[in-house]
Amino acid sequence: MKSKAGLFTQSCLLVFQGLSLQKQAAVFPAYDREKSQKLSPKGFGIMSEIDALKAQLESLQSEALAAFSAAGDSAALQQLRVHYLGKKGALTEVLKGVGKLPPQERPVIGQHVNLAKATLSAALDECEAELALKGKAARIEAERLDVTLPGRNKSPGALHPVQQGLDEITAIFAQMGFAVAEGPEIEDEFHNFDALNIPPEHPARAMHDTFFLKELTHGDDAEPMLLRTHTSPVQIRTMKRFLAENGEPPLAVVAPGRVYRCDYDVTHSPMFHQVEVFKVDRDVSMAHLKGVLKHFLSTYFEKDVGIRLRPHYFPFTEPSAEVDISCVFCAGKGCRICKGSGWIEVLGSGMIHPNVLRSVGVDSSEFSGFAFGLGVERLVMLKQGIPDLRLFFENDVRFLRRMGVSK
Amino acid sequence: MKIPFSWLKTYVSLTATPAQIADDLVRLGHEVEAVELPRAAVKGVRVGLITSKMPHPDADKLSLLKVEIGEAEALDIVCGASNMGEGDKVPVATIGTSLPGGLVIKKGKIRGEVSCGMCCSEVELGLADESAGLLILPADAPVGAEVGEYLALEEAVFDLSITPNRGDCMNARGIARDLAADAGLPFTDVTPAAVAIDAAVATPSVTVTAAQDCPVYMARAINGISLADSPEWMQAALIMAGMRPVNGVVDVLNYVMLTMGQPMHAFDADKLSGDIAIRAAASGEAFAALDGRELKLHAGDLVVCDDSSVIALAGIMGSEPSGVSDVTTNIVLESAFFRPARVSETRRTYAMVSEASMRFERGVDPLMVATAMGQATAMIIDLFGGSAGEIAVCGDATAINADRTVLCSLSRLESRLGVEIPQATDEVLARMGFTLSRQGDALEVTVPSFRHDVSIPEDLSEEYARVIGFDAIPTLLPPLATTAPAKTDRSIHDAVAGGFLQVVTYAFISAGEQRLFVADDGLDIALANPISDAMSVMRRSVWPGLLNTAKRNLNRQQPGVALAEQGRTYVRSDRGHDEENVLAWLMTGEVESDQWYGHARAADFFDLKGAVDGWLALRGLSGRFIADDSILGLQAGQSAKIMVGRVEAGRIGRVDADLADQFDIDAPVFVAEINLDLLPTGKQAKFVPLAEFPGVERDLVFLFDRGAASDAILNAIRSAGGKLLTEARIFDLYDGKGVPEGKVSLGIRFTLQDGKRTLTQADSDAASSAIIAAMDKRFGAALR
Ligand SMILES: [Zn+2]
Repeated sequence: MKSKAGLFTQSCLLVFQGLSLQKQAAVFPAYDREKSQKLSPKGFGIMSEIDALKAQLESLQSEALAAFSAAGDSAALQQLRVHYLGKKGALTEVLKGVGKLPPQERPVIGQHVNLAKATLSAALDECEAELALKGKAARIEAERLDVTLPGRNKSPGALHPVQQGLDEITAIFAQMGFAVAEGPEIEDEFHNFDALNIPPEHPARAMHDTFFLKELTHGDDAEPMLLRTHTSPVQIRTMKRFLAENGEPPLAVVAPGRVYRCDYDVTHSPMFHQVEVFKVDRDVSMAHLKGVLKHFLSTYFEKDVGIRLRPHYFPFTEPSAEVDISCVFCAGKGCRICKGSGWIEVLGSGMIHPNVLRSVGVDSSEFSGFAFGLGVERLVMLKQGIPDLRLFFENDVRFLRRMGVSK
Repeated sequence: MKIPFSWLKTYVSLTATPAQIADDLVRLGHEVEAVELPRAAVKGVRVGLITSKMPHPDADKLSLLKVEIGEAEALDIVCGASNMGEGDKVPVATIGTSLPGGLVIKKGKIRGEVSCGMCCSEVELGLADESAGLLILPADAPVGAEVGEYLALEEAVFDLSITPNRGDCMNARGIARDLAADAGLPFTDVTPAAVAIDAAVATPSVTVTAAQDCPVYMARAINGISLADSPEWMQAALIMAGMRPVNGVVDVLNYVMLTMGQPMHAFDADKLSGDIAIRAAASGEAFAALDGRELKLHAGDLVVCDDSSVIALAGIMGSEPSGVSDVTTNIVLESAFFRPARVSETRRTYAMVSEASMRFERGVDPLMVATAMGQATAMIIDLFGGSAGEIAVCGDATAINADRTVLCSLSRLESRLGVEIPQATDEVLARMGFTLSRQGDALEVTVPSFRHDVSIPEDLSEEYARVIGFDAIPTLLPPLATTAPAKTDRSIHDAVAGGFLQVVTYAFISAGEQRLFVADDGLDIALANPISDAMSVMRRSVWPGLLNTAKRNLNRQQPGVALAEQGRTYVRSDRGHDEENVLAWLMTGEVESDQWYGHARAADFFDLKGAVDGWLALRGLSGRFIADDSILGLQAGQSAKIMVGRVEAGRIGRVDADLADQFDIDAPVFVAEINLDLLPTGKQAKFVPLAEFPGVERDLVFLFDRGAASDAILNAIRSAGGKLLTEARIFDLYDGKGVPEGKVSLGIRFTLQDGKRTLTQADSDAASSAIIAAMDKRFGAALR
């Protein structure tokens, strides 16, 4: 058996080397002839024709089965299928011998041949399936990876933490029905101060540490232009535009942007970001201001934060209030960051001063409004635990990557 | 402003703790920055009676004391001082006490003798900077008592931040009045002691020509004072309140200002010549200020003058020569009301701040002008002798802020606050000096002269809110309107999605940095008062900020950076100025690091170009990159303008190597910018049926002259390829071995497709021939 299988394998190799189908056909018949001579009952002269044919079939079948199980791949199996079961295959050769049999014996041997055909065909299918399984298993093993190696990836980008804060804050107000507005950073004194009830001699004007621009003026009086010290001028510009288009309130606006103060130390940056929020309508009250603040601050800090309003002074609001939140670090118990008070100042707010409403032509006896301005850096520092304002403008990429991780 | 608790107690009997008072102050709108406890550290120091004093057997300068502190046994104490004797009472720091200087008292032996405590000097108790010996306490001090309690050394100091509208609270009296009104406690005003007028002392001659800026001016001469240092209690009080003792007269005036709120000034009468005049300064008039500055005044500044010179910038600062010195014996005191806006403007012009100007700016109580004059005169005469003349008075203080009545509707106030205003709050306001009457919904309020800040109904709403307490106002969400969601600007988000880190740099850069990428065309906008030269010009390019950021990060051992910034640039224009919304990128150094799957790779032009292309594609746009050698600061041959449609929307390129070197960057640096304002809105994608018939792909390889632009080649291929050509790209670029000098081999792959049929060999042959002909005609390029 072994030698036969070996011989057969060799001839198979020959077949493969032959590459073309015609060549394969040329090889097999030669081999067949040799074998059938060997097995020819004439050569022995002992058995009856039918027995000799049966023996030939049996021998062919066992030879084929052995060859099948020895086949190394599905291509080899395919060759074997052709060799034994094909139109000019070994079984067909056997059937040629049927002619020599008496007619009554012919169906008997036909049955044998068919049986052998079915057996071999089933065996071939089985071997083929087995080979496919083996082949797949081998391929899988060969393609096994170290899945713990790092992925092929470009380092991801990151939004600046201030941008994330701006996006979050603006989105909360937008969801509450506030329309988003913007305004110029280079402003005139009217929009930055006068219209906001800060006349030239007002002490609050000095507290704004204003950057003025060289040889850039506005209007007939050649008023100097400046870098806006807060986002409140957007209040004026937006109200004027809105009233020109719509005649009268209500309007509710959120205005994010960059602002500038001539102040530069550990806790002050000459450029920072504010968001101005205001609403003007009939019967807007301080209670509404508290409601909006509470909703905003609790949403932003993702917890129910306590808020405290302290009376304060801003020229553009009356009454004015500084807004504290219960310390997010110690839950109001008192710690280093809140200086033991349990409260942290987060923004300034108030009811819009009637002079401000008047400056844009709103009748303050009919309409009222609230406004507040919040410092984005401050809120982001509190939320993300960033200890130093300067980190925002140093732009150390390690900081940016770390803070760019979004939840 | 610092106010010692004990000062408040002279006006109102407050029994609450400093912490409780601080809370009340906050609720009333006076921000408490800190409650300082300057003398809280003397616990354990007790009044001791020296019952015996013996010399130390082994040390000449030491004494052995037996000191009674009210306990069973007297203490043995070794003491190095010499100013005490038997029967004296001294402060004794008992064992375990820690003194202000940090010394902790322990039982010990000094030169072999046991010492169970320490007798203290003022220095050791933190009461003085120097002292001659032990602090000898009064004979009636109770033995054993805590010295801190006995001397009332325990003190709290409120550090307050008074808002600019509350000039009336820039002093102890005003704060005390608010606290008393709030707590319902009686307010005891301090009345100055009567002063005997000496008819021999001439009344100063005063004329006010600028009455609008100076509605009230009072002056009084005091002659023959013996100027000395102010008493220790006053100096200690001034120090606690944050002021430095100067000399007796100045200290008294500061004390009066801090307690009563009226700033005053004293001139050395012997240094004045002639009469006093309060007038507007002449332009260019000289003034030698007390702080050493020589000013050239502006017309309109309010000044106090004698016949020869300006002796004070009214309400802000006196002159150096006319000031009170150690040798002064005759003085002229000034007490006045200067118009707040005048003082504010002048002191800002000269960037001067003084305790006086801070108060005048906020508005002092006109009725205190005379009271303070009386109080200061009485204290000066009491402390330093001298005799006072009559007060010269110009103007009528009672006319200032007089009879101001506010009429308003209570329901309007309530609607604004969102809370009911109970009748009881009127009583608190009445104690604060307001006169109120309610007639149904109508409210009539008369405002006291010291409340400059109250003039309209909204001001009253704040007064009510303070008294009711902001906490008592409910928290209500207003009815919310819905608005159409605004289109959010995704520019920076999309850049970040491309792998870039967003940075935020300052909008002002140095003048030198401005010139790196923008030629000097006179359109820069510079700051008049920059923080520094490095931050003095409004940027016209974001690139310098990005370069500085790259430099900083590369210095911190980053192998490479990919940065993006969105922000504005600023430039002069016909409209005055323009602010342009810009998105900028920078890439330098490694874009890929050494990895198991590949080697490190440095950024090149096409990394950044790809990022910009991708960014444009996300908004439905595509850019044409047109080589441009003339972009300032970028390297010729590696720079291009970015055309989007017909608009030049941006620029891209490699930063000039010498310029990058100025930022200490060796690796090639690539930058790009897009002017977001110029960018057309991309088209919303519209559905197109997907092709059903397969396309045909063909490759052609040509030899081109070096310098042929690939976009021109591809454009030519697109037009030569006809309608069926759906895509053409360069799949190979080679100029190595086998390619003639001056040539470059480009492999071009194009795809033909027809929506209605399967294409044939003939179709692709026809397209190929057309393309080959076009390449030959247009570029002289032959198939390779
Ligand atoms: Zn805390």
